[in-house]
Amino acid sequence: MELNICHLYPDLLNVYGDLGNILILKYRAQQRGISVNVSNISLDDAFDSSKYDITFFGGGQDYEQSIVSKDLVQNKKEEITKYIQNGRVFLSICGGYQLLGKYYCTPDGKKLPGLGVLNIYTEGGNKRFIGNTVIHNEKFNETYVGFENHSGRTYINDLEPFGKVIEGYGNNGEDGFEGCIYKNCLCTYFHGSLLSKNPELADRLIYEALSQKYENVELKPLDDKFEMAAKNFIIKRETKNKKDPI
Amino acid sequence: MKLDKNILKVICKNYRIILITGTNGKTTTTSMIYNILKDANELVITNSTGANMITGITSCFIENYSFGKHRKPRYAVIECDEANVSFFTEYATPEIIVITNLFRDQLDRYGEVYTTLNKILKGVEKTPLSTMVLNGDESLLGDLDLPNKIIYYGFNCSPLKNKKVNINADAKFCKKCKSPYKYNFITYNHLGDYYCENCGYKRPDLKYTLDEIKLQTPEKSLVSIDGAEYCINQPGIYNMYNALCAYSTARTCKISTDYIYDSLKKQQSSFGRQEIINIGDKKAKIILVKNPAGYDQAINTISLDNSTFNLAVLLNDNYADGRDVSWIWDVNFEKLSSLSIDKIMISGIRLYDIAVRLKIAGLPVENFILCKTYEKLVEEIKSCKLDTVYILATYTAMINLRKFLNAKGYIKKLW
Repeated sequence: MELNICHLYPDLLNVYGDLGNILILKYRAQQRGISVNVSNISLDDAFDSSKYDITFFGGGQDYEQSIVSKDLVQNKKEEITKYIQNGRVFLSICGGYQLLGKYYCTPDGKKLPGLGVLNIYTEGGNKRFIGNTVIHNEKFNETYVGFENHSGRTYINDLEPFGKVIEGYGNNGEDGFEGCIYKNCLCTYFHGSLLSKNPELADRLIYEALSQKYENVELKPLDDKFEMAAKNFIIKRETKNKKDPI
Repeated sequence: MKLDKNILKVICKNYRIILITGTNGKTTTTSMIYNILKDANELVITNSTGANMITGITSCFIENYSFGKHRKPRYAVIECDEANVSFFTEYATPEIIVITNLFRDQLDRYGEVYTTLNKILKGVEKTPLSTMVLNGDESLLGDLDLPNKIIYYGFNCSPLKNKKVNINADAKFCKKCKSPYKYNFITYNHLGDYYCENCGYKRPDLKYTLDEIKLQTPEKSLVSIDGAEYCINQPGIYNMYNALCAYSTARTCKISTDYIYDSLKKQQSSFGRQEIINIGDKKAKIILVKNPAGYDQAINTISLDNSTFNLAVLLNDNYADGRDVSWIWDVNFEKLSSLSIDKIMISGIRLYDIAVRLKIAGLPVENFILCKTYEKLVEEIKSCKLDTVYILATYTAMINLRKFLNAKGYIKKLW
């Protein structure tokens, strides 16, 4: 089997350790004997929606993000929209998450258009939401941990959230939800890297991506003792003052 | 500690102040400048233990305060946290302000590189009479809109053949027009002889240059600066930058090159920067690591060691380390997988996170030893087969390990 991963703007959106997600997907696939190709797609490159099984879109600094947003609209909007609408696996974090929405409104009222693939929008806030975050996903009954660092407040309308906030701020600090899911597009504010402490999620992405191409995909279990210990450490520490720790 | 900041204005009045800021290399550069001035028989004080916030700096002046007039002018070589420059320049006018470099650093505390730069510049704006000594290879520091006198230093050579900037480097896009930079050469991360093909922005003219790297070992380097050979008693490209920066600052103070030569040659490593501690019969070399640029340099320096060695990696997430450990994924740990490492000891508050990172980087999991306590870590170090142990530790991990070693009698002096 072969897994084709696309990393969008790896040279520009590279400061929050999100690259780890690519390294982890690659490692976990290769451990199962799956060959992996990673394509770095950046400024002026075309994004061909038929070529990739998993596409990753990370977060960057404001300066680099402004360069990205121009290129996205000019060169990649149609194909990315097509890819997500076709239900292909897409993972989007922080700045990438915001850019998929309708717009980002800066604190001084300037509206920056997004790709508009998702019916969500983001408003800039003055207080930055920074800290370790713990959420629970009811559908899979799984708990995910990550580190959020964002000033944007994202509102996801009627989209399904990635999880319910147990500890941390989440999308906007108000509605108690983190991230969103649309078809096979998963959006979140989680750095950490996200997949480093949520191996079950990494495998779900790989499984879904491969199942779109191959029949009867089976992923043999890996030894995730470090990953789970890292996750449980955060859950324990960050929720220890709560009445109902999970 | 609460202090009336106005006190600073009074007590630093008679000093010729040299302020050192920037993301990486502050402590070592400060120590090098201090030593050069001292070796040149100047009267000099410094905040040498990394107390680089405004209260620490003020205490340093208070401790050294003495009544009565000094005939000879005295220097104060002050390391200053990036965000504290503007507090300091509110009350004092440095004769020289040094900026070493700007890398991404603990994004939860400092924010992004442009935020850091603006914080520093806000401080510089208050002192137009300060001479700036700046790293010319740092593209963020070129063409600054300042009335100050500016002196640039930089490299005229590189150990790297590659002219393409690493995908994970920090400032790769022109600060004027957002086009990607081109390089005649890169020294490390985004530092080098850069230029922009689109708008013509390029590296400024350098006054002081490092022209040749003659030799590199895991202990020291031999280089040529402004046509003369210097031995820098600390390893790695980043220490060449620190030394070149110290040289340029000292030359700006009209210190003779003879003193600089002697001083750099015997420069001792400062607190937790390649400091060697004997633990039993093992030689532990502690290297402070705090962000991807510095970590990559530490790994490069270790990889100069051709023999087999032991490695300890310590990751904490206290406030001073940065609460977010995501940055370890931007460090090129993959490079370690090609080195000959015997035992890999893993410790610190976030030991499992770093264990995952090292596993994914391809290091052999069967050689990992997870040490939840310093007691266990020190036992493991003592039972290593080989003599040398490199300890890569984040700030509070380094401090706490030193405290532990001090309590157990392995080191006599804590600071």
